[in-house]
Amino acid sequence: MITSSLKLSVTAIEDIAPSLRHVRLAAADGKPLPPTGTGAHVLLSLPGLDRVHRNAYSLINAPGSRHGYDIIVRRVPVSRGGSAAVHDRLTVGDVLEAQPPGNLFAPVRNAKHHLMIAGGIGITPFLSYLQDMGVRQVGCSLHVCCRESEKEVFNPWLPENANVKFHWDAEGHRLDIAALLARQPVGTHLYVCGPSDLNEAVLQAAKTAGWPENQVHTEHFGGASSTGKAFEVVLQKSGLRVSVGEDESLLEALERAGASPLCLCRGGACGVCVTRLLEGEPEHRDHYLSPEEKASGQSIMPCVSRARSPQLVLDL
Amino acid sequence: MNIAPSDIKSRPVYAPLQPDPAATRHWLVLETGAINRKTVDELIEMFRPVASSLQMWTVGSGNAASTALQVLPDLSALSQALRDRGPFHVSDRFYAQGTEPFLWSVAGEAGQVGFTPAQIRLAHTGSLRRRVWCTHCHGLTENVTTQVVACAGCGRHLLVRDHFSRRHAAFMGVMVDAEVPGERPAIEEVFP
Repeated sequence: MITSSLKLSVTAIEDIAPSLRHVRLAAADGKPLPPTGTGAHVLLSLPGLDRVHRNAYSLINAPGSRHGYDIIVRRVPVSRGGSAAVHDRLTVGDVLEAQPPGNLFAPVRNAKHHLMIAGGIGITPFLSYLQDMGVRQVGCSLHVCCRESEKEVFNPWLPENANVKFHWDAEGHRLDIAALLARQPVGTHLYVCGPSDLNEAVLQAAKTAGWPENQVHTEHFGGASSTGKAFEVVLQKSGLRVSVGEDESLLEALERAGASPLCLCRGGACGVCVTRLLEGEPEHRDHYLSPEEKASGQSIMPCVSRARSPQLVLDL
Repeated sequence: MNIAPSDIKSRPVYAPLQPDPAATRHWLVLETGAINRKTVDELIEMFRPVASSLQMWTVGSGNAASTALQVLPDLSALSQALRDRGPFHVSDRFYAQGTEPFLWSVAGEAGQVGFTPAQIRLAHTGSLRRRVWCTHCHGLTENVTTQVVACAGCGRHLLVRDHFSRRHAAFMGVMVDAEVPGERPAIEEVFP
């Protein structure tokens, strides 16, 4: 799974909008990096004020890039620390620890057309899609729902002749999701990446419009918060008791205690950190477990999920 | 007629047809020779809720079991009809009912006009006869009802296995007397 970590140095920082920062990273030792993929992300360890934040960011490079990794980070108003670390404290020359790129959002190669819908900073994985020759060749279109003030911000990364439309919250400029989905030809695959309300709206519209489930793909970010009410977790095998604070995830608390399961996406999507739950009532926030598995209460995804009861007992 | 379950994972599993309520258009293709009047009536009843967005075709010579069916003489006529009626959308669904070789030939035609596997529903009816793909000469032998058959391509005697290929729309046939030429099991009809 995750074998070795990378050391990346910050080679450039540019504020492309009041709350958007472009960061360029390169291998600290100057060697080529593991190649990026279309839709891939990198997991960065960002030093925070009181602890290290581990956040996943989409790579906006052309697939196969080895010279460097580029990310765009939104400053969120109530930051858990990750976006604040990037926006307030990161400087050129800093060296960050990172995991080699992973990909949970790759394009489906036998698609006849790729239809992408992005919400704001959710455009980032699609910036690599637009540079993928295979995706370009079969045909693709990108619809971005964003603030009107930010519709020009991503231009430097949009290839010439790319089929991209921007939508914003004003009369005549909103995206009509239902109409868009209704006119798609057979063999189209739909990808959506944005805040959870946009994702949910698109997934629901696709369902209503008769889209087969396996032609609809989604990547969640940000909104799927992993913080909340504090609780306690008991680790059955090691006998440890760990308290999970309000502003940290269960996984982060487990890492602090040195008892964490393997993980990959840290966003409730990949399923790598799935852990057996022995006692307690979980509050599932992941997109991995099926509704039946969630109802059975026997597994939990520590990266995003928390507890409804004051205590959870895990098989760790 | 039901197909016995098989341990082999490539063996397709079929289920009775029913319209997908989320779909916006429905395309139903039946095999004239494999479908009787009763089956057609049951299907018409089943698809009644979506009748206004339903096209029904029956493929093959013979009398159509219902006037609701539009008759197409053969697969190439179906291919042409699909081309005429396209382009299709993600929300379309394609359904077929008939013998196994027919189902997969028709699914192939649907695939040609862009339907994805998730949009195609197949239900088996009628004979269990198989199309067999020879692993030696890659030839196809049609309408096989026995467990051993002489290949229409190379003449080798083939053991008809349960391995099914969606791409070839056929079952795998391997030479049955490769070890000792001429030593072959008695031929039995097992796919009536």
